[in-house]
Amino acid sequence: MKGRVAACVAVTMLLLALVPSQTLAEEPPLVTTTQLVEQSATWDGKTVSFKGEVLEDVLARADGTWLNLSDGNNTAMGIFVPKTVSMPTISWAEDYRTIGDTVLVTGVFHRACVEHEGETDIHALSVVVVRQGSTKENPIHRDRVVWLVVLALALAVVMWFYYRKPGENLSPHEDP
Amino acid sequence: MVRRVWKEDFRIIGYYTGLITIGVGLLMLVPMVTSLVFREWESAVDFGLSIVLTLLVGYVLALVSRTKNTPGLTHAMVIAAGSWLVAMVLSAVPYVLSGHALSLLDACFDTMSGYTTTGLFLLQDLDHISQGLNMWRHLLTYVGGQGIVVLALTFLIGSTGGAYKLMVGEGKDEKLVPNVRHIAVQIWRISLIYLLIGTGVLGILAIVGGMKPQLAFFHGAYIFMSAWSTGGFAPYSQNMQYYHSLPMETVSMVFMVLGSFNFALHYAVWTGNRREILHNVEIVSFTITVLTTFSLTCLALMQRGVYPNAVALFRRGFFQLLSAHTTTGQSNIYARTFVRDWGSLGMLALTIAMAIGASAASTGGGFKGMRMGIIFKGIVTDIRKLLSPERAIVVGHYHHIRDNTLTDGTVKSAAVIVVLYVLIYVVGAVVGMAYGYPMADTFFESVSAGSNTGLSCGVTQATMPTLLKIVYIVEMWMGRLEFLSVFTLFGFIAASFRGLKRQKVAG
Repeated sequence: MKGRVAACVAVTMLLLALVPSQTLAEEPPLVTTTQLVEQSATWDGKTVSFKGEVLEDVLARADGTWLNLSDGNNTAMGIFVPKTVSMPTISWAEDYRTIGDTVLVTGVFHRACVEHEGETDIHALSVVVVRQGSTKENPIHRDRVVWLVVLALALAVVMWFYYRKPGENLSPHEDP
Repeated sequence: MVRRVWKEDFRIIGYYTGLITIGVGLLMLVPMVTSLVFREWESAVDFGLSIVLTLLVGYVLALVSRTKNTPGLTHAMVIAAGSWLVAMVLSAVPYVLSGHALSLLDACFDTMSGYTTTGLFLLQDLDHISQGLNMWRHLLTYVGGQGIVVLALTFLIGSTGGAYKLMVGEGKDEKLVPNVRHIAVQIWRISLIYLLIGTGVLGILAIVGGMKPQLAFFHGAYIFMSAWSTGGFAPYSQNMQYYHSLPMETVSMVFMVLGSFNFALHYAVWTGNRREILHNVEIVSFTITVLTTFSLTCLALMQRGVYPNAVALFRRGFFQLLSAHTTTGQSNIYARTFVRDWGSLGMLALTIAMAIGASAASTGGGFKGMRMGIIFKGIVTDIRKLLSPERAIVVGHYHHIRDNTLTDGTVKSAAVIVVLYVLIYVVGAVVGMAYGYPMADTFFESVSAGSNTGLSCGVTQATMPTLLKIVYIVEMWMGRLEFLSVFTLFGFIAASFRGLKRQKVAG
């Protein structure tokens, strides 16, 4: 009996150990723009996952759609979604007052894409919206409005002096 | 012997710098209106505050130093160099207020980069800035390309006695027509006509490429201003990659090349002298150096198998090469791709192209095609002299608008400026290397800053050392103004201190 229990435990442990690692092996790794550009040769032609905010323009073309996904400070990647791949509705795209939808893309990375004349891009196999975008607060700073008024008044005074009697307080013609 | 500095010198310099500063303040109305159109209220307030502050500085300067005297050559040089510094600081205020610049120095770096049509940037989270700030970035480039002084001459200063000297101080020394104000007007007329055409064509291409119509023409204007002024900025951090559009890249290349041509050549062609294109020394020089550096680029890219086919190689390689040679700095690849994929030879080809740069009296930077042509012809003439009988008189010629005789003085002046450019390129690179950056990277970046190109291989970042930022700012400033006015400013400051010391001793 003890032996059976031990065997069951061993088999269960083995399954627990194997199943997640198998699942992980099948999941494409989540990568960033920096990783893809810095190790472009390593990732070239590999299936990867990429997550980022949809930038303002979703560019629909005859053969598919281009998305630009921002995944950090001044880093973004071009994603090509062919017509054959289902494209979710992008409700929010980034602009000054909007945070765009966050999208998870699984696709093949190309260091220099043959189809797009050497572009560094990802050809999507699936596109999923993982977080809806939202509006962004850009509050007006009251102190700046106060400064604006104060400086405007000062400017008005200086301009009044400047235009009051043009030429009256000109310096004499000294030959330097 | 250096002449003494008088109080009146300060008045003249202060008065004209004040007028130019007023011009900068009025220019900020354009981004403010853009912010209002896009209902970016907080950005509009920031621009309102910046406008009032800039106008206040300008009017105070003009009021306290008002004079009827016109600037001489020394004043003009000091005004040109000094007003660029004043404009740099005041134009940085909207950047700081936006919260996208980490410090005033970073903001000044970006505004100097804009005015000098360089295109390097330290702005944070560029993909989320307001349309107003985007308009300001590109407008700086557009105005900087034609020249801040040229702008002030057109609208504020007029044809004073020293007006032409002011233009010379800013590096625009082509006398297209006898009246100085008319020269400034001609430069603006040419630029504005191209702006309308460029915005229209690029805007339509952007719509065809899938962009929203209400934004497409703004993007068209931004990309045009960036290409024509050989600036290199773009509204998004991916630069030209954002559009995924061969037609837009092609049109942009056309404007880069047009912007890199001498305004005198534009004027000659516009007034019917079309044959000038075929004979002009700068066009000949540009064609030869583009072909040579592109051959080198192809060799590097083929050797490393960077691109899968000739079409890809041409689209990426030729665009980058032209962008470097015209000192534009627009890019359709990632900055780090230069280091990771293009390798040393590819980077060297682009570095040489950037160092040579565009035409004289254009919006571009670098040694300039004119100087390359003159030095080359000077060498050929010297060789011909050595091979000719001793009594023979050998005289060299070069064609720019008309046939010009090549004198030793012309060759010497061209060589001196080229040596000065090499010097700033080397200084920038050495400072970079002292901070531990690789040699190829620092030369690439330093030449890019000094020649006002703006291509980056990843050195230029907000995290880079403060001293390196300052060195690049100085490189951009000196490179754009072609040294003389900057040296005159330094000399003027030194002479002023000497005068103060003398007064103290006398007292």
